[in-house]
Amino acid sequence: MSNLVNRAKSIAGNQQALLLLVLIAMIAFFTSRNSIFFSNAVFGNIISDWAPIVLIAIGETFVIISGGIDLSVGSTVAISGVVAAFSMRSLTEHGHGSTQTLIVGFFVSVATGILVGAINAFLITKTNVVPFIATLVTMGAGSGLAIVFTGGGPIGGGPDAAIQLSVPKVGPFSYPGLAIVALVIVLGFFLHKARFGRYIYAIGSNEFAARAAGINTKAYLAKIYILSGALAGMAGYYYYLRLGCGAPTSGLGGELQAIAAVVIGGAALSGGEGRISGTVLGALILTTVTSGLIIINVAANWKQVVVAILIAAAVLLQEARAKGSSSKLLSNLFKKKN
Amino acid sequence: MATLRHKAVKVLAVAVAASFAVAGISTPAQAANKYTIAFVMGAESDPFFQAMKLGAEQEAAAKGVTLVWQGDPSVYSPATQNPILDQVLALKPNGLVLIPTDPTALQAGHDKAIAAGIPVVNVDTHVNDTTKAVSFITGDNADGGAKAADTLAKAIGYKKGKTYKVVVGLTSATATTNVGRLNGFAAQIKKSYPGITIVDKAYSQSQPSVANTNVSNWLTKYPDLAGIFAIDGTNAAGAAAALQAKGLVGKIKLIGYDAYPANVDLIKKGVFTALIAQDPAAEARLAIDYLVATLDKDKAGIAKIKHDVVIPNVVLTAKSSAADLKKYTYVAK
Amino acid sequence: MTQPLYEVRDVSKSYGSVIALSGVSLKIHAGEVIGLVGDNGAGKSTLVKVLSGAHQPSEGTVILEGTERKWNSPHDALVAGVETLYQDSGLAPHLSVSANVFLGRERYVKGLLGKLGFLAQKEMDRVAHENLDRVGIAVPQSNRSVSQLSGGQRQAVAIGRAVSWASKVIILDEPTNHLGARQAGEVLSVIKAAKERGLGVIFISHTLPHVLQVTDRIVVLRLGKIVADAPTSTFDAESLLGTITGLID
Ligand SMILES: Nc1ncnc2c1ncn2[C@@H]1O[C@H](COP(=O)(O)OP(=O)(O)OP(=O)(O)O)[C@@H](O)[C@H]1O
Ligand SMILES: [Mg+2]
Repeated sequence: MSNLVNRAKSIAGNQQALLLLVLIAMIAFFTSRNSIFFSNAVFGNIISDWAPIVLIAIGETFVIISGGIDLSVGSTVAISGVVAAFSMRSLTEHGHGSTQTLIVGFFVSVATGILVGAINAFLITKTNVVPFIATLVTMGAGSGLAIVFTGGGPIGGGPDAAIQLSVPKVGPFSYPGLAIVALVIVLGFFLHKARFGRYIYAIGSNEFAARAAGINTKAYLAKIYILSGALAGMAGYYYYLRLGCGAPTSGLGGELQAIAAVVIGGAALSGGEGRISGTVLGALILTTVTSGLIIINVAANWKQVVVAILIAAAVLLQEARAKGSSSKLLSNLFKKKN
Repeated sequence: MATLRHKAVKVLAVAVAASFAVAGISTPAQAANKYTIAFVMGAESDPFFQAMKLGAEQEAAAKGVTLVWQGDPSVYSPATQNPILDQVLALKPNGLVLIPTDPTALQAGHDKAIAAGIPVVNVDTHVNDTTKAVSFITGDNADGGAKAADTLAKAIGYKKGKTYKVVVGLTSATATTNVGRLNGFAAQIKKSYPGITIVDKAYSQSQPSVANTNVSNWLTKYPDLAGIFAIDGTNAAGAAAALQAKGLVGKIKLIGYDAYPANVDLIKKGVFTALIAQDPAAEARLAIDYLVATLDKDKAGIAKIKHDVVIPNVVLTAKSSAADLKKYTYVAK
Repeated sequence: MTQPLYEVRDVSKSYGSVIALSGVSLKIHAGEVIGLVGDNGAGKSTLVKVLSGAHQPSEGTVILEGTERKWNSPHDALVAGVETLYQDSGLAPHLSVSANVFLGRERYVKGLLGKLGFLAQKEMDRVAHENLDRVGIAVPQSNRSVSQLSGGQRQAVAIGRAVSWASKVIILDEPTNHLGARQAGEVLSVIKAAKERGLGVIFISHTLPHVLQVTDRIVVLRLGKIVADAPTSTFDAESLLGTITGLID
């Protein structure tokens, strides 16, 4: 028994292991309710939902570790997807080939995201607007413009090959899905092993200390908001591939999903804390719940309840860890059971 | 030099005019037109209203009427619509077309207009008490749902004694359009196609990507699915993408709603078996005709006014004529 | 007398209408420890910020080794060899001890990855440990996060970091605050070791016995002005307190 408690203790101290357990438990539960859940097709659905969420959630991870917040990522997904859709429709109408059009569309989408990120960066580092307000402004402007540009409906008329690109090819992964995995790994190395990440943690942990150590904190902050915008632009493009059209409502509420994934992944909104692996698992748990509830016939509204419980658990665990007592908390739980 | 200045003045004048146009509130009682008719609608962003606006503009031009077109850019809510209505009434238009976002909350503004001697037509939705209104003109959501059921049954080759599974993708559980269409669809199935079962429903919150996730999972969950009814434009877009990604185009019959251009294109590609389209432009045209007849005190015209008008939906399929497809496609950018 | 190592001349600084420093001049020589004392709000931290480059003086000059300097940021001063330990410690609690010691001065792995900014973490862990050891500070593991250390240990790391990097001047703003008697004693010996290395040390404290114990010279600030600047040997506890409070002029 004490062995079990010890093991439980070490797991409680390790957010990633805990999230993995939660994920496995969810998969086991959904499979037990409907065995079709455990299939490549369903995993494919989960991964294709996960890919755009993880993109914006990774951007949000960088931002949250720096002590900021980016509320504009959902709108940026919408506006960049829409702008890319217009450009791809126009190229297609002018007889450009599908490959060429898709490549241009990708860069247009990412550039649009970078533009929004740059506006955020400008507001935050040059005019000293707090991130919450700065990104609230771009969030409103972005989703408003997406609707004005499109008149509300989806914009199609691009290359037919788009949707085929979003089809799973390697296990549950589509080719763009694999590219996203690779990108997430690279960004993980930059966050955890390189100067870029080190300084972002320092800024989120104690901005004064970071500045005193000679770090150009504003330049780093600008970079992460631009990064977040670029990733949202990629997510906008990914949605375009999936839907074969750019919709002004794609990514709606994406900022909340991203923040939820980051918090479930163990980051602190006060900054200085968080890991890419946590966010990856957090996003995966969110999309697993989405597909799982559909497969087992539970109203989608329950998803919000499940997500709320996960967030509450993550925050409680964080409090406990901050007090250095996560293991105590857990062993108390075990004691009560005995 | 003089010409340069002249040009500058012209540019300035155009800019001022354009800014008025953007502000949307054009000054009424312009010399050329005898009447000003104001539309106070739901949400500018909805392609449905964009299509209605196009119809209104055409009819206003034809009848020599100045059109005022006002509504919130994106929020469909009485909280934003009421102040807009007040502002428009302050301009003293000759006639008002109201698309109330709430039957109760807009009643007072509606009655205030009538009390001021402004004739009112309700379009698409209506206030609780329309007895004093000239007319209430609407598309028929229940009829659209029933037509979707008929079209779907025909497409899956419905035979008595056999069973079929279908799913319905909705946007919200409470939006009146969704409820009307779903009820019409379900009632028609119960009445005429007892072998069809609606096995699942889900909500997309107006997001095609959420609709796509719902349909993608249904396609896995129900390998023997016969058909999908996507209840509005965003659900239609999401479902269409899911069928294409899973290579099930044509195998699973998809009935969509709302003739967004992107969706109409997919009829031609066989992704949609059919699209049910409303005719918002026709609603707007009729509303203007009724108001002009009322203001002209034109006896013949007034005699033709019906207090309740239901404009039927159309079913667009690959067999529809190109002209029809064009006519019913909602304008969009 | 030899050229002063670090010097400010006629420095004034005001925050809006509050005059925090007016006409302050101060010199420090290599291997000298200066005590900077004064009541709360006397202007000590403001002077520290001017010396460390965190603030620019409204008037007056800053001179390092005979050359007039203008610090645009604390980093400028840092690079020139002036290290500062700020009151309310300047550590990033979420980072490890070694990450804090090396903050802003990271070492990178060799080759392309190093050019991309990839960190030589093991090396920094080892060197941070050695550096802290060298200046007489014992921290159990340099890869532990600072938030897991006690208040005294944190302070020790902050001091160790400043001392181990300083090449000319080190400024310590209330380093013995919140410390127990033993840790405070350790800080004082770190100051003595820094002096032995030939650094100029500016030591700010409200604990007068500490000041009397380790400094060579004491500078007293009152309401933004220097009211006394004399060898420590000319003060005793009572006269120092009197000078600070203004009972003795
Ligand atoms: N950022 C600021 N804005 C406005 N006034 C300030 C600011 N910082 C310090 N002051 C004022 O300048 C004066 C000197 O403050 P300073 O912090 O230098 O005092 P100190 O001698 O370090 O005091 P303590 O012993 O309490 O640390 C005080 O009157 C203080 O209120
Ligand atoms: Mg102070």
